[in-house]
Amino acid sequence: MAQQMARVPRRQFLKTAVQAGSLLAAPHLIPGAALGKDGSAAASERIVLGGIGIGSRGMYDLGCFLPQPDVQFVAVCDIKAARRAAVKNRVDQKYGNQDCATYRDFRELLERDDIDAVLIATGPNWHATASIYAAKAGKDIYCEKPCTKNIAQSLALADSMRRCGRVFQAGTQRRNLPHFAFACELAWSGRLGKLKAVHAHPAGLATASSGWAPAEPEPPKEEIDWDLYLGPAAWRPFNKKLLDGFNFEKGGGLVGGGVLEWGSHCVDLCQWAASADHTAPIEYNPPKDGRVIARYASGVELVIRNDGWLPLGSCPVRFEGETGWVEAGDSGKLVLSSPELIAGREVAEIGGYPATFHVRDFLDCVKTRSQPLANAEAACYSHIACHAANIAIFLDRQVRYDPAKHAFIGDEQANRLRSEAMREPWSV
Amino acid sequence: MQTTRYPLTSVALVAAIIALAAHSARAADRPGNAADQERQLIGVLQSDAPKADKAITCKRLVIHGTAAAVPPLAALLDDAELASWARIALEAIPGPEADGALREALGRLQGRLLVGAINSIGVRRDQRAVESLAGRLGDADPEVASAAAAALGRIGNDAAAKILQKSLGAAPAAVRSAVAEGCILCAERALAGGNAARAVELYDLVRESAAPKQRIVEATRGAILARRSAGVPLLVEQLKSADKGMFNIGLTTARELPGREVTEGLAAAVAGAVPARQGLLVGALADRRDEAVLPAVLAIAKNGSETARQAAVAALQRVGDASCVPVLMEMAAGADAELAKAAAEALAGLPGKDVDADLAERLPQASGAARRVLIELAGRRRIAAASGALIEAADDADGKIRALALAALGSTIGPDELSFLITRAVAPPHAADAKAAMPALKAACIRMPDGQTCATMLIAAMSDAPIATKSSILEILGAMGNATALEAVGAAARDKSTELQDTASRLLGEWMSVDAAPVLLELAKTATDSKYQVRALRGYIRLVRQFTLPDAQRVEMCRAALAAASRKDEQELVLEVIGRYPSVDMLRLAVEAAKDPALKDAATAVSLSIAQKIGGSVDVQDLLAKIGHEPMKIEIIKAEYGAGTTFKDVTAILRKYVRDFPLIVMPTGSYNSAFGGDPLPNVVKTLEVRYRIDGREGEASFGENATIMLPVPK
Repeated sequence: MAQQMARVPRRQFLKTAVQAGSLLAAPHLIPGAALGKDGSAAASERIVLGGIGIGSRGMYDLGCFLPQPDVQFVAVCDIKAARRAAVKNRVDQKYGNQDCATYRDFRELLERDDIDAVLIATGPNWHATASIYAAKAGKDIYCEKPCTKNIAQSLALADSMRRCGRVFQAGTQRRNLPHFAFACELAWSGRLGKLKAVHAHPAGLATASSGWAPAEPEPPKEEIDWDLYLGPAAWRPFNKKLLDGFNFEKGGGLVGGGVLEWGSHCVDLCQWAASADHTAPIEYNPPKDGRVIARYASGVELVIRNDGWLPLGSCPVRFEGETGWVEAGDSGKLVLSSPELIAGREVAEIGGYPATFHVRDFLDCVKTRSQPLANAEAACYSHIACHAANIAIFLDRQVRYDPAKHAFIGDEQANRLRSEAMREPWSV
Repeated sequence: MQTTRYPLTSVALVAAIIALAAHSARAADRPGNAADQERQLIGVLQSDAPKADKAITCKRLVIHGTAAAVPPLAALLDDAELASWARIALEAIPGPEADGALREALGRLQGRLLVGAINSIGVRRDQRAVESLAGRLGDADPEVASAAAAALGRIGNDAAAKILQKSLGAAPAAVRSAVAEGCILCAERALAGGNAARAVELYDLVRESAAPKQRIVEATRGAILARRSAGVPLLVEQLKSADKGMFNIGLTTARELPGREVTEGLAAAVAGAVPARQGLLVGALADRRDEAVLPAVLAIAKNGSETARQAAVAALQRVGDASCVPVLMEMAAGADAELAKAAAEALAGLPGKDVDADLAERLPQASGAARRVLIELAGRRRIAAASGALIEAADDADGKIRALALAALGSTIGPDELSFLITRAVAPPHAADAKAAMPALKAACIRMPDGQTCATMLIAAMSDAPIATKSSILEILGAMGNATALEAVGAAARDKSTELQDTASRLLGEWMSVDAAPVLLELAKTATDSKYQVRALRGYIRLVRQFTLPDAQRVEMCRAALAAASRKDEQELVLEVIGRYPSVDMLRLAVEAAKDPALKDAATAVSLSIAQKIGGSVDVQDLLAKIGHEPMKIEIIKAEYGAGTTFKDVTAILRKYVRDFPLIVMPTGSYNSAFGGDPLPNVVKTLEVRYRIDGREGEASFGENATIMLPVPK
């Protein structure tokens, strides 16, 4: 697939396919007859969307979805009453009505037959579990990253999306930004020579895990549903310090955080560049001089490092071949070993890593049933690479991984860290 | 003296979770340690320790637990607050003991706790649990029955499949979905084990059941894939279905099922589909990977309905080759604007040198719309062989053709023909051509392999050019960014023209290599306009701040920047850089800067920040003493070192190292050494300090071996 993408202006193809099917993709492609009076898509052509866990990041994503003319947002679910109210207020203002429904329990939202797709931005503790429940309910899913807490969840996510025939887009929006995509294209197209190494910025390697903080008085369930907040995470008493969904139970078990937070962006781009959307590195070394170095079966090295980057903004990646290299970051800029590499190509410089294009890719695929760029399979393996790197950091030794058997080779301790039991009654 | 205390603070607890496990994991590699670790952990589970400690202990047993840990863990399965923690370890510990404990728990647990145990059995795929789980399929609690069905599905052996198969028809509505899911999981396992017939049987059973719609969708997908080529009729049935969900799973499955006959069936389905679906079907066709795809898509592009042709032309970009050029060229030059646009896009993306050769050969003979299309394609595809024809077109009587040709030349022209573009940009025969030629020249220069020679040619062309043209060429030199270009841009920054000064100083400020540093520094000191001095200095500081440099060079550049900075704004920018790259040398610079009364506060803050980052040493202490603060009275009230429930009193030791500054430097960086031994081996500890500074009391906590810099209480 990766090689194919190198020559395909994919978004344009999807638009054409959608347009040719009389469905809707982008404003300039919408047939006039399909538009409603207000310029939005006719009811039969709309993607009906619900939101699960819409906090600050979710609000940003929502801001990318709502302007799409073929999206109708109808319901929000959140364990916090204040956030439910804030989303409802924003959505109702957008549509000029009071129709946005609110739910505390996402299972009630998923029971609605009229909802086609869901935006999940709960926080990492819930991402995989909620996504799999949504898939089993027949919904397509746009899910924020990191999408999984451990290797087992990564595999369950990909299996479930495949089994249920759902469209899944991980919130790794850099795959749909032209300069990152072009950098990856240079890597897989051979224009850098034989690929030698891909470099990712993890924004730190420190492990972060959530503990059992002292009990505080638990708010009423309607205000904050602590039981649902904990969800698949092991039980602990209410404590408001743990209510930060962004950091709560970010990674699985004993090895959370670390490479995963930014790796789900930067390692993901490296996976794409290394044509590794269907595999993962086979060897992971413990940190040395602040770097974690992994190696693919192809011999390509994945270098996870914080130091030595060009000033190209956050989330930089660098791809090195035998004859050239490219580095890109969130500024939207590229630096190349030779200007020849970009000769004749106009690569749009889009800084600030907007998710708009990524959201559009998802919506187009909901209609065509094609796979978006950050599909479940790709997300599965990029997350496995991050989890395995975290396990090497945690065990402070080299671990070797078999991507076919999904097991560490000759390392029982590492294998024990592949999964973590979910709190009852949750299961994937 | 060691003390034991409860409960832990949340911060300490979180640290303990991470640190205990990390160190224990390493320690377990040493023979003899693992058993000791496990014995200690089991002791915690069997003690009256707080639940918080037992929860952490369960996590640690993920690494260290063996059969010996199973009984105390199993005892927690009845505890609603600790059961989930216990199952974390029980799911991870290999061996029959954990299986047995979970099976045994089925007999005594109820409700959610029972569901949890069943889920863990499913994760462990305990085949000996099939009979017990079968008994739970009829449980009055639908959550329990559903969990049992899911667990049986995960186990997925023949016995589990038979039980689920039998239950599907009789299951109550609330459990039916889970039973159907269990059947589908069993079918997947049968298929993976080579028994496609059994898989088809199970999938069909679900398809024909009263299971919820989504389970039917999943079973239909599975039934098609398990049948392989014999699944084509069932696939086509979905592609004709009026039901959107079934049509959608047809589109998905059409991309997964291999085989030429599938492609042919899909192509036939396009012809029979309503227009609204044709584009989607062509999209699925184009995502397939067999030899039948291209002929099928090409045929649709030629002869399909209007909507199907649009989709097929777009798809050719993905699946096409040189054989598509004649058809696409005819469309691209045709009267149908939408189709022409799609065909041109497809031609731009078609892979292969043979496509380039074909298009280059067509260009000299082409006319009208075809010529315009080919000129644009030559540029988009960077067809060097087309440059001659493009140069000819750049002299066309039609200004639009000239503009198209000049733009395309920017992508195709080689070093030998570069002078042609330079002339057209600097002194074109038709003045309007410069508008297209200048960006084309920029595109060409950026990609020239010999950038220095290219820059020399541009510099020569600048000499007699008007200021606006010179400015445009400077922009090109800035984008090229090599040594010759830098020299020219540096010289332009001193030109008498303020316009050139403005352009050149801006370009230097954005330069993407450290080579620009000396030029910027010199300009910062000597530019005639103070505005450009400031701009140059800020560009210099940007290089120091953002680029990879040897430590010594960065220090020297910071020193030079501070010396050149006359305004507080830039001085503070330099201080920010100094704080960003902490070292003793940087600290020395900050301390020097603190001598300037105007900078004292900012430089002191940076100094303290550096000291905290690089840790204590005599050098650091000496340098900080120079900052000019009055000596402080530091008193240690209480200092304890340890983790979890075990802390050692180190008050007396710490007091020995206190001076008249909040930074406490001990003779060694190791707390264990400084405090006379390790109170808790293999565990990362913290130092908790209560103290007074000038009579005001404060508290601070330091991670093991962290720099001890006491925050000044307010």
